[in-house]
Amino acid sequence: MAQPDSQEIGDATTAVHSQPDSKTRRYDRQLRLWAASGQSALESSRTLVISASATSTSILKNLVLPGIGHFTLLDADAVSPADAGNNFFLNGYSSIGKNKAEEAVPLLTELNESVDGKAEVKPIDEVLQTDEGRNWVKSFSLVIAHNLSQDTLDTLSKLLWDGLGNPPLIVVRSAGFLADFFIQFHEQCIIEPHSETFPSLRLTRPFPALAEWANSTDYDKLDPTEHAHIPFPIILVKATEKWKAEHDGQLPKVYAEKQAFKAAIRDLQKKMDEENFDEAEAQAWRISGEVPVPSEIKSLFALTPLVPASSSSSTNGSSVSEQSNAAFHTLLQTLKLFVESPEGPGCLPLTSTLPDMHTDTESYVRLQRMYKEQAGKEAALFKKILKANFPDTPVDDGMVDLFVKNTHHVNVLRGKRWGAWEEDKSAVASSLESDPRETATHLALSALSNLQSKGIDVTADALRADILTRLPPNTELPEEMTNAVGELERSPTADVPNTAAFLGGMIAQEAIKMITKQYVPVKGYCVVDLVESWTGVVGA
Amino acid sequence: MLKIWSMKKNEDAAAKKKPKTSAAQIRVQKDLTELDLPSTMQTTFADPADLLNFELKITPDEGMYKGGAFSFSFNIGPNYPHEPPKVKCIPKIYHPNVDLEGNVCLNILREDWKPVLNLNSVMVGLQYLFLEPNADDPLNKEAAEELRRNRDQFLYNVKNSMRGGNIKNEHYDRVTNQ
Amino acid sequence: MNGNSTSSDWDGRYFHVDQILDKPGPRTDPSFLAGDGVKDFLRNQCKILVIGAGGLGCEILANLALSGFKDIHVIDMDTIDISNLNRQFLFRQKDVGKPKATVAAEFIMNRVPGVQVTPYYGKIQDKDEDYYMQFNLVVCGLDSVEARRWINATLVNMVDPENPESLKPLIDGGTEGFKGQARVILPTVSSCYECSLDMLNKPTAFPICTIANTPRLPEHCIEWASVLEWPRVFGDKKLDTDDPEHIGWLFNHALKRAKEFKIEGVTWSLTQGVVKNIIPAIASTNAIIAASCCNEAFKIATSSAAYLNNYFMLIGTDGVYSYTFEHEQRKDCPVCGGESLDISIKKDWTVERLIEMLVEKQDIQIKKPSLSTPTKQIYLQAPPQLEQATRPNLEKKVSELVEDGGDITVTAASLPFNLSLRIKYI
Repeated sequence: MAQPDSQEIGDATTAVHSQPDSKTRRYDRQLRLWAASGQSALESSRTLVISASATSTSILKNLVLPGIGHFTLLDADAVSPADAGNNFFLNGYSSIGKNKAEEAVPLLTELNESVDGKAEVKPIDEVLQTDEGRNWVKSFSLVIAHNLSQDTLDTLSKLLWDGLGNPPLIVVRSAGFLADFFIQFHEQCIIEPHSETFPSLRLTRPFPALAEWANSTDYDKLDPTEHAHIPFPIILVKATEKWKAEHDGQLPKVYAEKQAFKAAIRDLQKKMDEENFDEAEAQAWRISGEVPVPSEIKSLFALTPLVPASSSSSTNGSSVSEQSNAAFHTLLQTLKLFVESPEGPGCLPLTSTLPDMHTDTESYVRLQRMYKEQAGKEAALFKKILKANFPDTPVDDGMVDLFVKNTHHVNVLRGKRWGAWEEDKSAVASSLESDPRETATHLALSALSNLQSKGIDVTADALRADILTRLPPNTELPEEMTNAVGELERSPTADVPNTAAFLGGMIAQEAIKMITKQYVPVKGYCVVDLVESWTGVVGA
Repeated sequence: MLKIWSMKKNEDAAAKKKPKTSAAQIRVQKDLTELDLPSTMQTTFADPADLLNFELKITPDEGMYKGGAFSFSFNIGPNYPHEPPKVKCIPKIYHPNVDLEGNVCLNILREDWKPVLNLNSVMVGLQYLFLEPNADDPLNKEAAEELRRNRDQFLYNVKNSMRGGNIKNEHYDRVTNQ
Repeated sequence: MNGNSTSSDWDGRYFHVDQILDKPGPRTDPSFLAGDGVKDFLRNQCKILVIGAGGLGCEILANLALSGFKDIHVIDMDTIDISNLNRQFLFRQKDVGKPKATVAAEFIMNRVPGVQVTPYYGKIQDKDEDYYMQFNLVVCGLDSVEARRWINATLVNMVDPENPESLKPLIDGGTEGFKGQARVILPTVSSCYECSLDMLNKPTAFPICTIANTPRLPEHCIEWASVLEWPRVFGDKKLDTDDPEHIGWLFNHALKRAKEFKIEGVTWSLTQGVVKNIIPAIASTNAIIAASCCNEAFKIATSSAAYLNNYFMLIGTDGVYSYTFEHEQRKDCPVCGGESLDISIKKDWTVERLIEMLVEKQDIQIKKPSLSTPTKQIYLQAPPQLEQATRPNLEKKVSELVEDGGDITVTAASLPFNLSLRIKYI
């Protein structure tokens, strides 16, 4: 390859060294989503999957490929001819008669050398009978159970709900074309969200350097090129100051005012199509949208931590996720103090990420530095407040930085116990009215599981009778119930390959969200109908 | 079986047909035959059977570039109109929005391209560059600088370059007929 | 039948799938023939084509094989790269560099006995209509808009109203990160890929003057290196984005430029991402979308349940959000829309006579029509050079230019869509 004159030999050497290592290359397409932090969370996770069904191995396949740390597949049963026919992670005919988990695990671990996988040949009911077994189940970071009998599921879900440090449980049920799943968890703190909106640029309450830039900008003294490259935040800060001066310190509020505000920006253009002014006009919504603390974050301030911060750090044996949730709440309380602090900006800390904008390199870099510097100052103040108020609660510095960077979008989800929703029959009945097909499918799956664990024949009538016991007296079953019941009567024990693969993907997505804490997992029962190909959520 | 099929497959091979006109081809035919160009613009096809590669000659009758003839190559890919046509300026010209390699800075050729736009929009956009060169977001920075600071000198440079002269040690192609 | 019937079709093998095939459900079409008939069709007669053996393709092949499809063909033009291994689960480290189609086919045949997977390592464009005509269904897991448009147009154009066998349902899937979509296209009957082209996100492109003079983002520096600097330095030498040396060159030059402009964030990974337009991809999303595609293929092949009408999209970043809807066919779609007319003319009619007839036709209201066949222009009204070049054709007989049963594409400013004429001579 011809080398250009400007190229130095040193460059070529750097190029070779800069190419990522093979692990990074292998995971390239996923690192672009969840980065090194998400990957390391995955790699330190330990997942227990109960029952080696086609659905279970599909889930595991999608967790082994991205590189979870460890999994255990628990199943005491031998491979049946039916299993050998519908499970990709068995050796077909030759697996028949051998233990399901032991047959599946080597074919799963083979997908990714860096994943540690183990087969456990024990009936789950037996495991749940001893302290040792129960503690073993609780030692995982996530538990996934597919089509467990109702009694087993009750025992398991109660065990895991009883203790904040216990792993979340994903319950998966499926038959034929229908399925649902539910994540039982106490609390999920999302510290590294992927929001598609840029955080506040602090335009209505500019920090000193930003205000100074805006003040010192005199449109009339700029040449046309400079004028056409003033960054839009500067234009908006100026326009806001002017507006406030003319409107008793108020921001544009009603529609007419917002239009007038935009018109004022348009009038500043010196010639047609000055893109920076067009941008300013298009971004004018930020002015009325900028509040000191967005309502979603304010509602987090009102949350009482499940574990008091002081106790969690001193209690021995609290789980990693429990500790990290406690630390998260400490940071949340610090954030509240930060907003209230007279030393602070009176709003959430500034982030240094800027959107691209029509301006010249120099102005952009200058603006970027300005935001970065200010964000640094505010992060330092945040840390000072943290230290002053929570001197006994050490929080990892990296976690603090991550939190401060994401304060506009952090989130806390509080979950429910498996089965808690159904205890409120009127809530279920109203859901059946508002979301008939989703609720009907969920109820039908519950009925199916009940009939199966009691050894009752699965007929449409038996399903309907069971469903009626789950609803207030005299509830009328909607049309949609016929579809759900009929489909389950047709294929009550079918773990069909496409449904298994579909759930394999869905559950793995949820597991990744729970483990990485970067995306929002589903709350409530996610219901799947692969006849008409829809999904929906009830009981959130 | 979905109704469109019968259980027994029809063994008769379907009558052999040739591939039909591609979507890109139809669009190009539509775009080209509906061009509404002023007399200052003219298309030339090296091979009249190949609608995907041609040249556009712009001969501005007003503005600073009056008197020149500027040819652009158009290359339309199979993904048209999902992707814009590739357009390059053939002669090396002195223009704030065209670089020495013939790259053209026109928003609808890149970031603002939409499938509802057509070849006519691109051609009109190109002609506009000769009537109103944009000095604020240039591709040829020196030319833009000159246009901003010293319009007369810029105009002189334009005329000089169009006759095939040198500006700051850079030779430009002759684009005038005389 | 397969030779090894003991190990390939053991009793109970299809226990799960047969629950679906032995009995209709409440939403099953009455035409469903439960039992042996449908099983025989699925397992012994149905021939299915999978396009793409990548992220979706690997999943699709496994699902189809387990569902009972036994005659599967797969086309893919790519070889295996290390970055495929985080999701393309039929490939291992040792397979890097080998053709995807071949390795995938072998893996499936080893794992699922009795299934025949026929690979083709090459481009879909290498194959003609006769090839595509042999399949009952086509499932597509592609990452290229161009390839999708091609197969879509090919299958739409193959539809012959007199031959129901010529209508090949096309099931198409696509993913990006935690998002994806699956759709069923019944060529000429429902909305096609081309109909929804405007739903696509357009690839990010930066103004060329920004790249050249006012870079602000690391991406601008990378684009400068690839769009402006590479051709300036290397002329016509093509940039190979799979060549680490080329990426290295771009990376170094982008980095140098970024330093010069005090821009942070140029990395190898970003460089590769920008120049290859890399779309993040994970196993789980591919699994969902591939499963959805195969589920539709299974339902259409067996009629065992209603099929997707016609678009399913899923967003998994914030809870589970999905939307199932009917994407409407576009009347002016250049592939499946427009009008099609059968026209019978005398063998001695000239092109001019045909054009007069078109202009006079009350029902289509056409002014100044331009005519072409798939391979050549017949008469173009503009621009002047093409009008002149095609003018001699006006005098020629249509039958000299178009064979009996051949097609003519008509466009005109007054027609918002294109018109297709099928010519018969009397």
